Amino acid sequence: MSDLLNITIDGRPCTCEAGEYLYDVAERNGIHIPALCRSDAFEDHRACCRVCIVEVEERGRRKVVTSCVYPVERECTVYTNSEKIAEERAVTLALLSKRAPESETIAAMAREAGGAEGFDRLVTLDGEKCILCGLCVQACDSLGTGAISTVNRGVDKMVSTPYDKPSADCIGCLSCANVCPTGAIEYAQDATSRTIWNRTFELALCERCGSPMGTKDAVHRAAQQAGVEEPRICDACRKRELADEMMHTYRYV
Amino acid sequence: MNDTDRASKITAIIEAYPADRRFALAAMQDMQHEFNYIPEEGLVALADYLDCSKAHLYSMATFYKALSLTPKGEHIIKICNGTACHLRGSVNLATELKRILDIEPGQTSADGEFSVEYVNCLGSCALAPVMVVDGVYHNKLKVDQISGIVESYRTDDSKDVVSND
Amino acid sequence: MINGTDRILVCCGTSCIANGALDVADAIEKELTARGLADDVCVNVVRTGCSGECEQGPVVRFMPRDLMYYRVAVRDAKAIVDSLDGAPVKKLLHKRDGQFFEHMDDNPFYALQHKVVLKDVGIIDPLSLDDYISRGGYEGLKRALSMTPDEIISEVEKSGLRGKGGAGFPTGRKWRSAAGYDEWPKYIVCNGDEGDPGAFMDGSTMEGCPHAVIEGMVIGALAIGAEEGVLYIRDEYALARDHIQHAIDDAYAAGILGDSIMGTPHKLHLSIVRGGGAFVCGESTALMASIAGRVGEPRAKYIRSVQRGLFDKPTVLNNVETLASVPTILRFGGEEYAKLGAEKSKGTKVFAMVGKVKHTGLVEVPMGTTLRTLIYDIGGGIMNDRPFKAIQTGGPSGGCIPESLLDLPVDFDTLTEYGAMMGSGGMIVMDDRSCMVEVARYYVDFLCEES
Repeated sequence: MSDLLNITIDGRPCTCEAGEYLYDVAERNGIHIPALCRSDAFEDHRACCRVCIVEVEERGRRKVVTSCVYPVERECTVYTNSEKIAEERAVTLALLSKRAPESETIAAMAREAGGAEGFDRLVTLDGEKCILCGLCVQACDSLGTGAISTVNRGVDKMVSTPYDKPSADCIGCLSCANVCPTGAIEYAQDATSRTIWNRTFELALCERCGSPMGTKDAVHRAAQQAGVEEPRICDACRKRELADEMMHTYRYV
Repeated sequence: MNDTDRASKITAIIEAYPADRRFALAAMQDMQHEFNYIPEEGLVALADYLDCSKAHLYSMATFYKALSLTPKGEHIIKICNGTACHLRGSVNLATELKRILDIEPGQTSADGEFSVEYVNCLGSCALAPVMVVDGVYHNKLKVDQISGIVESYRTDDSKDVVSND
Repeated sequence: MINGTDRILVCCGTSCIANGALDVADAIEKELTARGLADDVCVNVVRTGCSGECEQGPVVRFMPRDLMYYRVAVRDAKAIVDSLDGAPVKKLLHKRDGQFFEHMDDNPFYALQHKVVLKDVGIIDPLSLDDYISRGGYEGLKRALSMTPDEIISEVEKSGLRGKGGAGFPTGRKWRSAAGYDEWPKYIVCNGDEGDPGAFMDGSTMEGCPHAVIEGMVIGALAIGAEEGVLYIRDEYALARDHIQHAIDDAYAAGILGDSIMGTPHKLHLSIVRGGGAFVCGESTALMASIAGRVGEPRAKYIRSVQRGLFDKPTVLNNVETLASVPTILRFGGEEYAKLGAEKSKGTKVFAMVGKVKHTGLVEVPMGTTLRTLIYDIGGGIMNDRPFKAIQTGGPSGGCIPESLLDLPVDFDTLTEYGAMMGSGGMIVMDDRSCMVEVARYYVDFLCEES
């Protein structure tokens, strides 16, 4: 059983276990810290975007830390929007806007942060939305498909499939697109197919209502991993069927 | 080298290591040394052997400068771009090589004979600027020595050199 | 007179090799053989590691006579061998104020140094375990084997040794932290990535005295309870890797490494991991990611490697120079080591002084030596006596120190107070013709490329 600690966040007293991430403690106490590359889908955070920075005062010293991965280890006082943090966060978002000018999410956060001057001389990556946070890669890896990865490094770093070719490992599940904080991963979908990462996948359609249940590849893989038979009807229809059945079974109870 | 030869060489390289991901970089470096690049079939075979994704290895192959996915030239010219060499004119060496071979650092000549690259500090700072060709150090270089050095490699393919690989 | 224990030391560090030192060594050997004075009969030609005076190389030194020759070329071989039992070859001697000097310490470049880490470099054959042992090698380990881990750590704590890769974290404290975690296996890792451009201290140590690094690792492993260690050596350092591998092989054969260290129940297995050409892999978490078979991307520093490092297990990562300092500390005691250096920065530091200074090369001085002493007294001042402009320290994360601060002592903390940093030891001297803007652009470019 870990020790319990009492800390203060923006003046509010909070209790947490030693080792908990500061961001989580704040969230739990109703204090929202802006963040981009942090997803609830994972326990392992990368602290790439630097938006979730806060100031921590402990042992008489103040320091700026990324709250998503900062483990609380002793009593401290936290400021999520001190003058220093406000300024640094505004600069971070201004830089991110230069990196991903097409992202509405970032633009909105930058506006909220008050904007920052002096970045006009920096190159804007026209048409870009990706901030290289790596969540998409993390998602794909956690599923075991590993179809995409970061490629190159430095200013040439990007996310793609090996050799930029359609990947046989991709199952078109959209986990990458869904976890992306800026909607940088494009895909197209019509009634019967989905195209993503340069591959077109056939959709598995519900036998009852005809709505898509995911790509055939993804449905097949999920069933295989769970060790069950592939579903032929979608979740909604399955629930309806189950509800019907229950109604018939129990209506006289 | 025909396909069967290549495949068996790849297998030999890969199987020299235990099937553990920690040997991914070492195996790829061996492939780089053998083939002068990482062939796609090598990447695939290694991914299979280590039970990791192709994308993972592709990521490493594009991250580490020691690895390349396209064949490097027969002779690799490395211009040290450490601070001392930079101060003593490593850029001039690159400019001269561009004049002679028509390629920039990071490129391979059209005839596949030479690749030019900038490399990080080689540790011979006292003898800057330094250029290494096929593992042999050439130091305290003046721009007018470059064409002579390049020519000596062009005409003498069987040179017995101490390899830095 | 020549006798069987005489040696002709030829500096064969990477820089001198680039200057033809191996050919010089061969030529001298040929000359000796021609006169019937071959290797195992009378005089040994020893290809040593870096002697330090890189600008004046290749360097050849007769021992025990202590006759030092500089700028030796193949054509000098005959004259050198002639001088074995006669008058020295004047033109190859150190010249100062119109006079010629024979001994190594007649050259202020050497006289003002204090070698601890480099004490055997330039003197021993790096490929000979016997050479290393003959100069006290592995005495430190023998003593450590008779101590408890706590005693070993206390000795290092007493010495005040701090990480010489530049961060300056107290080594004893790091070892104690790692030793305190009840999780296995544990690892000891040597950071031989030395990515700062202009730095070749670690490269020279690994080339010139690989056993010092290995001995340090074995002692460290005993202290924390590690049974496996890795030396991460950058891709560009082929000679260093060769010499370290050779030393590892010899150590296994001699029972220093393996399942029973010097006959005790302690184990340690060491292997080399070759870097892939990425500056960022010099950072400890990126280095560990690289060893684990991933891209060298660092992770949040709040997770301490001593608790969760390589393969998520307690790991101690130390720089080459730090590890090579450990044998001396165990051999003579931490208190003895602490007599050297400055108050908060104990011991010595190796520097690679390059650029526009007369005597570029490798030097080791007590911590607290001033920049002025390094550049002018040891380095001989600026090339062609041009005006000094700045000295760059700390690699791409460092800064340029101007003339006004030349009397600052070089240690872990003082330069930092002034906005600069000592860094890993690379020092680039610049004169009035060096453009600061260009230097800034160069480093930004470097960091861009390596991010």
